Amino acid sequence: MLENIALIKEVHELLPTQEAQAHGIESLRLIDLEHIGLNRLNQCTSLEVFYVMVIRAMMAKEEVIFIVTPFFLIKKLARIEPVLEKLVLLNKEQKNIIILDNLTNQSHYKGDLCNIIK
Amino acid sequence: MILKFFEHIGQKTTDFFLSIYEAMQFTALCLIHMVQPKSYNPAMRMVLIKQIYFTAVGIIPLFIMMAFLFGSVIIGVVIALATQYNLQSQIGSIIVTFALNEFSPFFTALLISLRSGTAVNTEIAVMNVNKELNTLKEYKIDLIDYLFLPRILSGIVSVTSLSILFAIIMLGSGYIFTLFYMGMDLHTYQTLLANAVGVDNLLILLLKSVAFGFVTMLIPIYSGLKTANAYTAIPISVLNGMVKLFIAIFFIEVLSLVLQSL
Repeated sequence: MLENIALIKEVHELLPTQEAQAHGIESLRLIDLEHIGLNRLNQCTSLEVFYVMVIRAMMAKEEVIFIVTPFFLIKKLARIEPVLEKLVLLNKEQKNIIILDNLTNQSHYKGDLCNIIK
Repeated sequence: MILKFFEHIGQKTTDFFLSIYEAMQFTALCLIHMVQPKSYNPAMRMVLIKQIYFTAVGIIPLFIMMAFLFGSVIIGVVIALATQYNLQSQIGSIIVTFALNEFSPFFTALLISLRSGTAVNTEIAVMNVNKELNTLKEYKIDLIDYLFLPRILSGIVSVTSLSILFAIIMLGSGYIFTLFYMGMDLHTYQTLLANAVGVDNLLILLLKSVAFGFVTMLIPIYSGLKTANAYTAIPISVLNGMVKLFIAIFFIEVLSLVLQSL
């Protein structure tokens, strides 16, 4: 997972591998997932894979991040709030995070953390 | 009926030349990236180190064993035949030409193709089917720099270094056979080889190894990239890639023989 995260900074910012991986570890630590750094894809849960995808997207230069149907990406996700809280923790650069989901899941997003646009 | 027959032939011919053109274009693109310093970013260097480890270092115990087994048998047969046809005076150049110019790079290329060529073909085909290549493109990661170039360079480095190792083992085995067949001592054997080895032998070994290493990785990569969008297409891709690779290896071998005979 760590290699996967570090790749973006290695390629686009030409950071040495160790330095890029240190950034990755730091991001994983923010959401208490540093233990998955050396795991392979099949050793991670869908939630962990989702966070790695988000961290990787945060590492990219693009200012807007689209997350499409998180309830489909994360298996057995009952509540989105804990995920949204972790997204806020990870979003140090204040990027625009847009979640695209079906109207049937609308009730899950009601709260302070989300602006719902139909 | 006849028109359809000619249309079919025409279509096949056009497809054939188009695929050759595409393959050449891909080869040229890889070569251009190979000489560009910006291709060598930290991620690429890390993949390159890993690839060299998997391709060249991981195989060493098996390779040494195979080199002893096949190298000894082949060099034994060559020395026995040379003795039978009273070619003892030429034995040095026969061993050097056979071990350095012909057998070492060829056998190494075959072994690396079977072990790493298939692995690379499958890996790229799986990544292609799983759309991992598309994800990398989305993140603006150059596939040639990150995926293909390290594999091609590792192929070149691995085949060249293992060919040299194979040649050394083969020449070592040659001493055992010359000792038994001709009663030759080590010093005489060393002098014989030193006199027989020329710069041209080393150059041929290096050039052939580089060419073999290049195609050993390039063709499986290209074949993996051309995989249709289904898991069932992966074995077909590996099969096609390996057939093309073996044809390319034999083509290089024949071409080198033709060039040497000029």
